[in-house]
Amino acid sequence: MGSSLGGWPSYNPQNFSQVVPADPSAQPLNVIPATYIATHRTDPPPGQVITTDPKNILLRHFYQKSEEKLRPKRAAPDNLTPQNNGKQPRGPVADGGGQASGRS
Amino acid sequence: MLCTWRGEVPASLLLTSSRTLSTLHFPAAAETAAEMSVWNYVVTAHKPTSVTHSCVGNFTGPNQLNLIVAKCTRIEIHLLTPQGLQPMIDVPIYGRIATLELFRPHNETQDFLFIATERYKFCVLQWDAEKSELLTRAMGDVSDRIGRPTDNGQIGIIDPDCRLIGLHLYDGLFKVIPFDIKGQLKEAFNIRLEELQVLDIKFLYGCVKPTIVVLYQDNKDARHVKTYEVALKDKDFVEGPWSQNNLDNGAGLLIPVPAPLGGVIIIGEETIVYCNANATFRAIPIKQSIIRAYGRVDPDGSRYLLGDNTGILHLLVLTHERERVTGLKIEYLGETSIASSISYLDNGVVYVGSRFGDSQLVKLNLQADTSGSYVEVLERYVNLGPIVDFCVVDLDRQGQGQVVTCSGAFKDGSLRVVRNGIGINEQASVELQGIKGLWSLKSSFNDPYDMYLVVSFISETRFLAMNMEDELEETEIEGFDAQTQTLFCQNAISDLLVQVTANSVRLVSCTSRELVDQWNAPEGYSVNVASANASQVLLATGGGHLVYLEIRDSKLVEVKHIQLEHEISCVDLNPIGENPQYSSLAAVGMWTDISVRILSLPDLELKRKETLGGEIVPRSVLLCTLEGISYLLCALGDGHLFSFLLNASSGDLSDRKKVSLGTQPISLRTFSSKGTTHVFASSDRPTVIYSSNKKLLYSNVNLKEVNHMCPFNTAAIPDSLAIAKEGELSIGTIDDIQKLHIRTIPLNEQARRICHQEQSRTLAFCSFKHNQTSIEESETHFVRLLDHQTFEFLSIYQLDPYEHGCSIISCSFSDDNNVYYCVGTAYVLPEENEPTKGRILVFAVEDGRLQLIVEKETKGAVYSLNAFNGKLLAAINQKIQLYKWMLREDGSHELQSECGHHGHILALYTQTRGDFIVVGDLMKSISLLVYKHEESAIEELARDYNANWMSAVEMLDDEIYIGAENNYNIFTVRKNSDAATDEERGRLEVVGEYHLGEFVNRLRHGSLVMRLPDSEMGQIPTVIFGTINGVIGIIASLPHDQYVFLEKLQSTLVKFIKGVGNLSHEQWRSFHNDKKTSEARNFLDGDLIESFLDLSRSKMEEVSKGMGVPVEELSKRVEELTRLH
Repeated sequence: MGSSLGGWPSYNPQNFSQVVPADPSAQPLNVIPATYIATHRTDPPPGQVITTDPKNILLRHFYQKSEEKLRPKRAAPDNLTPQNNGKQPRGPVADGGGQASGRS
Repeated sequence: MLCTWRGEVPASLLLTSSRTLSTLHFPAAAETAAEMSVWNYVVTAHKPTSVTHSCVGNFTGPNQLNLIVAKCTRIEIHLLTPQGLQPMIDVPIYGRIATLELFRPHNETQDFLFIATERYKFCVLQWDAEKSELLTRAMGDVSDRIGRPTDNGQIGIIDPDCRLIGLHLYDGLFKVIPFDIKGQLKEAFNIRLEELQVLDIKFLYGCVKPTIVVLYQDNKDARHVKTYEVALKDKDFVEGPWSQNNLDNGAGLLIPVPAPLGGVIIIGEETIVYCNANATFRAIPIKQSIIRAYGRVDPDGSRYLLGDNTGILHLLVLTHERERVTGLKIEYLGETSIASSISYLDNGVVYVGSRFGDSQLVKLNLQADTSGSYVEVLERYVNLGPIVDFCVVDLDRQGQGQVVTCSGAFKDGSLRVVRNGIGINEQASVELQGIKGLWSLKSSFNDPYDMYLVVSFISETRFLAMNMEDELEETEIEGFDAQTQTLFCQNAISDLLVQVTANSVRLVSCTSRELVDQWNAPEGYSVNVASANASQVLLATGGGHLVYLEIRDSKLVEVKHIQLEHEISCVDLNPIGENPQYSSLAAVGMWTDISVRILSLPDLELKRKETLGGEIVPRSVLLCTLEGISYLLCALGDGHLFSFLLNASSGDLSDRKKVSLGTQPISLRTFSSKGTTHVFASSDRPTVIYSSNKKLLYSNVNLKEVNHMCPFNTAAIPDSLAIAKEGELSIGTIDDIQKLHIRTIPLNEQARRICHQEQSRTLAFCSFKHNQTSIEESETHFVRLLDHQTFEFLSIYQLDPYEHGCSIISCSFSDDNNVYYCVGTAYVLPEENEPTKGRILVFAVEDGRLQLIVEKETKGAVYSLNAFNGKLLAAINQKIQLYKWMLREDGSHELQSECGHHGHILALYTQTRGDFIVVGDLMKSISLLVYKHEESAIEELARDYNANWMSAVEMLDDEIYIGAENNYNIFTVRKNSDAATDEERGRLEVVGEYHLGEFVNRLRHGSLVMRLPDSEMGQIPTVIFGTINGVIGIIASLPHDQYVFLEKLQSTLVKFIKGVGNLSHEQWRSFHNDKKTSEARNFLDGDLIESFLDLSRSKMEEVSKGMGVPVEELSKRVEELTRLH
């Protein structure tokens, strides 16, 4: 053995360089870091409260089929989902772009 | 250690070894609480320690490598440093963490953290290094209205190319949260997944389209993998590039391999397989084991660490040539705790997170040690989980309970002794009446150790010294005045000793012990109070005279003398500036106007006056610096303590806080332990004041009453303290300064039930050991007996094959003065669904051995036992059964069945109070039974008709019962004895509901802290709970007015303290099971309420404004609550 050991990845050679192994008979450490308390705003940026498309999977398939016939003249009917009102203007453009780049 | 008193006092310092002990009784709780157990306050005494997830990445900065650890409801962020893991923050999450993943969105320099909770909430967090804040990048709800939650847990994965997040939460559905090109999340959608029994899903690396690999079981129980491409546009799956049928029957874990190798490793119980899209197939057999934790070592995926169910760490190597995997190799590395998560950190150091034992930091060595292990443990991190059972005992007979837990599982099992507060371990003590003051002195100024102990009495002072044999004997310091009471003593510069008495200040040479200089109090005045440091003396005489002396060239020089308008009650000039020998500030406490003043030195000019209010005189003031922050502490005659932040240069005071430590005058003194300064507050409730994370904390000391304390750091007993109690002087060492003290007793087997017996000074527990030979697995079950003080194993009783210990109690019976351990067992036979046979074993402890006195066969598992009216109450499968203790003609005893009660699914938990019995059922919540003496019958009085699967029950008082159930909720029910109809009386009314978020295995009456009968907090009854994640918590039943006040504080705090990731506190604490979700009621979140104390002063003021209660009052009330645990 031995050939597989060693050559361990090193991201910062200094890390753990000064660690002294704890006495095996010592009691385990009970470190309690400071508790984080969020007194600042924690709401996400606009449009980043995510929900699930409420459409039934079957209905979605039907819509997609009918939509395919109409493309590319019209944008997807997804745009009309009520939850997305706020970010609507950018949605389809970004979607299209995302898909295109994803597929290229 | 011995003490030889020269002269008339024939006392000697005695070693204190034998102490008597007692279990805790809570008479006050029982009597006063009848009306108030409805309003409960839930708080964590020990946070979860069981590690469920861990990951590594650049979270807090592009160049900072972090380890992020999830402990069920909390995450901890650590920084990798040359010294090791540096803990940064501990973040409470309003949910049980189901998924924890770091990912790097496109164009970002730092990783983001994705967290999904078991109640279907998720958030994406980013660290804002500038503000040190956790920002919410996105959050949402991913629940579906219809869907069957997965049996094998939730799966959350992120595409390595950051195109989407995949979630498998319900059978047959795969949820996709797509990213747009800017890295923003878009609306989620579901895709139908045909495989219903999914074991694991992972994203494959290096795929043009996002591709998942699914490990599943078909309806013939065969296991296969299959791949799908996720078509984001069509919101559907496309059949993937490959699949592999008929895998190892125990296949349970997928490891995706990074590009360019690609493909996936499938971990089975007997084989490990690699396969990929190019039909490369490699397999190796392994020794049978269950591997559930893995950590990737190399970024290219050529090596992985695997941790199995026995705690063995393996290295899996993928050998490869020209980007093709040519073979697999597995190598034994060594043993660790049983791993639940493995994270390779850096330079061969690995974090092993564990749910069953202590988590570890280990180093992978190139050479094996003598035992053949390549693993070296660098550090162990305490984990109490799973707490399967615990008992509360009062070993020190101080009225303070200690919790002894059955912790850990399998080979990592242990007992843990958990005690609140700081222990003083008495090394020696001597009877000594009337001590009025205590100081230690060194034999020369630069000596690291103390030599003399100066003990002051009303009309004399005595000197003790360590002799060559490290014994304490009486000595003389000739230059000191021994015929009068000493007010202060101190080592001073130029190897001098200072003694302040009512008449004079004396300066004595350390070497000759002779008087060098003296300052006399003016005629007609006597010194009342004094303080000194290495070069300064400050004293006050009657009439408000304050005299300031300096020690210059071995002389006492009177530098300044002023007269204040009132009498002076206390003074201090402990140096807090850069010069440890000289202070530029003095603190003075005053009679009459009840104020504390900061004066400058040497000119004694008033810098600041703070009126304390009230009529109680300050008795002790102290200037101190803890964790680099300067404070003024001022203690009153009634046990209250004020703390102020002190600006060491301007003398300004801010952040005034008041806490109640006891009821008697407090005297404050600093001491040092392991190089850190702390403050000891002597009073009827001695307390150590220390700083942790730059916050002042108060921790009880396990002593009843301390009048005086001084540090006594000797070579023989470093860092020890000399303590004057009523009629006694003792020397003791002090525990590590932390709120909870945990001692581990490793068992190498798993303890399941524990109980304490005061009379025999023992603990007994049921445990089992897992034996694995190459052919078969088996378990051996035991009853073990331990000395309750030394934890030495005294005796062992091995149960029959297949026999499990299910319950254990200590009890006595009518007409028999002996105390017994009763053990309930079950024969768990592989072919039976439920045990049909068990035993009740009655043991006596004789000469430290377990002697089996009586055994009684039962028709099922004895899940619970209770001492009941001098008889034994047992819960056996569906039945509650009462046994009488009968004397046979031959003088032996037997258990004779008296009566019983049927009608439970499985009666798992019973508690009794008088003639009442509360039963916690497997599925049918809580029911209340009563034993009727005349009829010798047990009847049901009432039940809760909800279908709760119980995990613990306890009776808070005669009317209110508390239960914990398997959806991590707790609830209270009330007996409706005054209801008008039989129907209503037969119903236990649910009066409180709360989502604890923890699985409670045991609820027991008791307290972790000393209960002072005359304090308000001492009247509050408490129940302790222990959970699977290692949480120890307290449920305190509050008086109604206090509950109402705190409820208002909680609802105010919710507006200021936000849920991390914007998760809602209200939703988190709402009672939730598969049938209903309802708002928490009659339970308060103590963890949230007590975080008030962590707020900045300005936020506290905002909360105070919202409440209409001054900050000082709020802090004091919340601080008092923290002293419940």
